Amino acid sequence: MKTNFTQIVVIGYGKAAGEVLKYIHDRRADYGYGLEFIEHEPHALSVTGQICMERGIPFASMPDKRELGDYLGEIREKTLIVSASNNFLFPAALVERENITIINFHNALLPHYPGRNAPSWVIYQGEEQTGITWHYVTAGVDEGSIIVQKSCEIGPDTKAYELTERLMDLACEGFYECFDAVLRENAQAKPQEVAPGRRMYRSTEIPGDGFLDLQEKPEKLYRLLRSVDYGKSGIFPPLQTEVSGARAEILRYRKIAPEKRQEGADMLYLPFADGQLLKIKYRML
Amino acid sequence: MEEKVLEILEEYCEEALDYDGDNMMEEGVIDSFTVINIVSELEDVFDIEIDAKYVVAENFRNKEAIIELVRQLIDE
Repeated sequence: MKTNFTQIVVIGYGKAAGEVLKYIHDRRADYGYGLEFIEHEPHALSVTGQICMERGIPFASMPDKRELGDYLGEIREKTLIVSASNNFLFPAALVERENITIINFHNALLPHYPGRNAPSWVIYQGEEQTGITWHYVTAGVDEGSIIVQKSCEIGPDTKAYELTERLMDLACEGFYECFDAVLRENAQAKPQEVAPGRRMYRSTEIPGDGFLDLQEKPEKLYRLLRSVDYGKSGIFPPLQTEVSGARAEILRYRKIAPEKRQEGADMLYLPFADGQLLKIKYRML
Repeated sequence: MEEKVLEILEEYCEEALDYDGDNMMEEGVIDSFTVINIVSELEDVFDIEIDAKYVVAENFRNKEAIIELVRQLIDE
């Protein structure tokens, strides 16, 4: 098989980056390209470093944006950069270079929900479907032509981390489908129809502004709680609320059957329309 | 307590019960998403807070490490 790319650089973290990295490594014999991995955002539970070590893939940790930009700017050979769960914004000067092609996995169905933390926003907005997009990277954020998309349902109890996991699986499926066409530079990419004034979700934005208004319906509160639930990853600060006129921080929550109710300190139970309860454990600030 | 932890592991990651090594994460027995589920369940069942600083591969290297982590947090 033939490709003009002599080097592939994978940048990212988490499951999608790891699986994509393994796949590209396994396909080296088909094309003969070189491969390296760059970790831009270290993660406590990341296994990409281990994957690199086991397979002899060159690994570099570059948390500094400028260092990473400079490093990529030095690339002279024809290179495919695969951005998988990566929040580094590629400089326009790099994107426009003739010898560089960049593809990125976005965790929503572009042109909808561009920017950061898309799984949170789709849950918060009550969407019933979302998906992933692999697209070419252009100077605009999440604006490049779409190479492949995959969709999935969002269940009524789906939490942000569960949806993220599902989307990472879809990202891998999508990548396996389009990899050869991208390498051969004949992928049928479709330009995005970006509406003027399209909302771009920024890393500083938090669904519900991070506040759980207990006057709202439990169904809406549950959506907000699920939308920011990434376990202990600290993507968002804990939600806050107001209890008896004082500020409190949400520790955890759960939907339970009424018979599972157990009274305890700093605990709230709010009834859903279907009779189940939203259990919320909080801590006064 | 130990029995309850094992029940939770059985629910979310049955393979962890038979694993006798010391790095479940790197060996692919357990992934970061399963860890989130287990942490959430442990917090709820034992009414404890597992701070992010404890959610590291070392504390999830095998079932004994998880039991030890819960024991420490209950004793705090």
